[in-house]
Amino acid sequence: MAMNKKKGKVSLEKAESRAAWIMMAPAIVVLCVIAVYPILRTFWLSIHEMVLTDPASGYPFVGVKNYIQIFQDKRAIASIIFTLKFTVCTVAFELFIGFGAALIMNNAFKGRGLVRAAILVPWAIPTSVSALMWKFIYNDQYGMFNDILYRLHIIDSYKAWLSTSGGSFMALVVTDVWKTAPFMALLILAGLQMVPDELYESAKIDGANVFQRFFSITLPIVKGTVLVALLFRTLDAFRVFDLVSVMTGGANGTESISLYAYNNLMKFLDFGYGSALAVMIFVVVFIISMIYMHFMGDKLDEM
Amino acid sequence: MKKKVLAMFLATTMVLSLTACGSSEKTPATEAENAATEATTEAGGETTQASADAVTINFSFDQGVGEPTQKIVDEFNDSQDEVHVNCVILPQDAGAVHDDFVNKLASEDTSVDVMALDVTYVAEFGAADWLLDLGDYFDSTTTDQYLAGTIEGATYDGKLVAFPWFTNASALFYRSDVLDELGVTEVPTTYEEWEALAEKAKGVNGVEYLASFQAAQSESMVCDWVEYLWNHGGEVLNEDGTPNINSEANIKGTQKMVDWVNDYAPEGVTTYTETESEQVFLAGKSLLIRDWSGFWSSANAEGSDVAGKVGVTTLPVGEGGAEGHSCLGGLDLVVNKYIDDAHKDAAIKFIKYLTSYDTEKEMTLIAAQPPVLKAVYEDADILKEIPFYADFYNVIQGGKSRPLSPSYSKLSDAIQRNVHEALTGEVTVEDALNALQAEAESLQ
Repeated sequence: MAMNKKKGKVSLEKAESRAAWIMMAPAIVVLCVIAVYPILRTFWLSIHEMVLTDPASGYPFVGVKNYIQIFQDKRAIASIIFTLKFTVCTVAFELFIGFGAALIMNNAFKGRGLVRAAILVPWAIPTSVSALMWKFIYNDQYGMFNDILYRLHIIDSYKAWLSTSGGSFMALVVTDVWKTAPFMALLILAGLQMVPDELYESAKIDGANVFQRFFSITLPIVKGTVLVALLFRTLDAFRVFDLVSVMTGGANGTESISLYAYNNLMKFLDFGYGSALAVMIFVVVFIISMIYMHFMGDKLDEM
Repeated sequence: MKKKVLAMFLATTMVLSLTACGSSEKTPATEAENAATEATTEAGGETTQASADAVTINFSFDQGVGEPTQKIVDEFNDSQDEVHVNCVILPQDAGAVHDDFVNKLASEDTSVDVMALDVTYVAEFGAADWLLDLGDYFDSTTTDQYLAGTIEGATYDGKLVAFPWFTNASALFYRSDVLDELGVTEVPTTYEEWEALAEKAKGVNGVEYLASFQAAQSESMVCDWVEYLWNHGGEVLNEDGTPNINSEANIKGTQKMVDWVNDYAPEGVTTYTETESEQVFLAGKSLLIRDWSGFWSSANAEGSDVAGKVGVTTLPVGEGGAEGHSCLGGLDLVVNKYIDDAHKDAAIKFIKYLTSYDTEKEMTLIAAQPPVLKAVYEDADILKEIPFYADFYNVIQGGKSRPLSPSYSKLSDAIQRNVHEALTGEVTVEDALNALQAEAESLQ
């Protein structure tokens, strides 16, 4: 108090900024503890050799050895390729289905509220639960998937979908699309509702057909929203873990990079290599974010 | 998903910081420990004169056997006043329990004295030299009274580093009604004899498949696979612990498993763990199922289509095999090497109590876990309560432990991936076993 009185007006701005820092301090401390520290710690671990069951090694510093090992490890490469394939496939399907669903829901029709609520149900179910549910749907003896295809005469006998690599991949993609397309639809729907009706009306008067209206009005306006939705989904899909872990356990070439990192960390207790994989996931996710941000930035400038 | 990753992150860092702290502060911790030891010895000396102040030991085990164990520990504490046992109950997750023990032992922590360890980790802990050698406390006249396979599984590098507490074994369950219908009076004992029944059994009382078992890429598949090897005279590791995976007998055993997957089991068997394989058998669709002993009660429970129509026998023998071996599971008791002598003696006393005839019998009755003491299987009360044990005793006598490798989790992971590829026909049996051999050698 005495200090404040002495310095008077000069320090008003300073005092305010100090107060701001004091008020933000708890949040900053929490962020450091739960976000910054784990990331730094993981990075620190990734440049050490640390197998928990081998304390005799003394956990020495090994530099980038763990990172080099990733590129020599066929299993790591295979898991990266699978994860990329999975990401591209699921995000593409989710975009088309989500966009379609959003366009339908954007029209006025009876029971629209109900449909909007119902479409969110798959998104609301925890992933591990829906993965178990779908695993049973694909069951070779009792699965609903087999039953439907059989009744439609698409297959002539029940198949074990999760026993082949193609079948497992398809099953994982279908399940992920089922679960997260609603999320995409809802975000895009929010974007669609920002499009003013007058634009469509005047376009109609000018004689633009439905496709011209879609490509010249709808698409440019919702592009920003779609990019945000794509960003979220791409990051989530790249880090896919629980779905794969529950449905296939990584069998038939469906081990995702997160699952492989988890196996190294928790099953083999190889914290050095596991952390290197985790850091790599972090870096890739960061790059993906930057790319999207770049496109979004352009978009924002145009607006 | 984001949360999960974050949780994983956090858990990792927490676990890590714990171990790191533990290891970096090793010296002060040990000093403190020594001081504490001196203190307790002194205190012990004083209390002996003042007579009977109990040594307190901590016993750590998982929630899965929590209730019955707590009851038995309470009885032990009431029965005498020299040793007091505290229970430290961990979550029911073999992996989590393993990590907890590793963290404590790697940092030479003495907060836990006796641990109940999953049998697959005994070799790993033994190789890390964390366990007290129990050979000095239990001689062969004692160990001979226990199932040979369980003692073998508790031995690493010639030393008895653990003591079996209770076990679990797989068995072959069959539909006795179908065998009766077919006029089979003697239960087959070989793979080929069962195969000969496959065609005839189809359609009898709803049977569609010969066998149901576990062939999903998982630990349960590893158990099934080693049984195929053993029953064809194969082994995963040599006596000295070096891998011997692509041997003639192992190729034969694995080929038999592939044949059974392709020709005698439901198409989806390569996606089955215990639950899925049981669904097929419980619905009456398969003549056989290879499963753990506990399946006996679920097969005969209300709601099962096959209740009262199930028999049990040893696993089949193949060409080159001598007898049907089952894979053993269960928990072993281990003692922390870093505790002082007073605690070691107390721990041994407690282990002797847990594995005594009366306690094993009680544990069998209240926890429904197969005992390790042979005599309990012939106890009249036990047979009255669990008549199944009369047949099951023959099965469990041939029980063997999974490969005793110090890096079991990595070996198991390599087995799961390579053998599963052979089972799904992605690669040939020879190629899969050669690849597995190479991976196992790199773990040495």
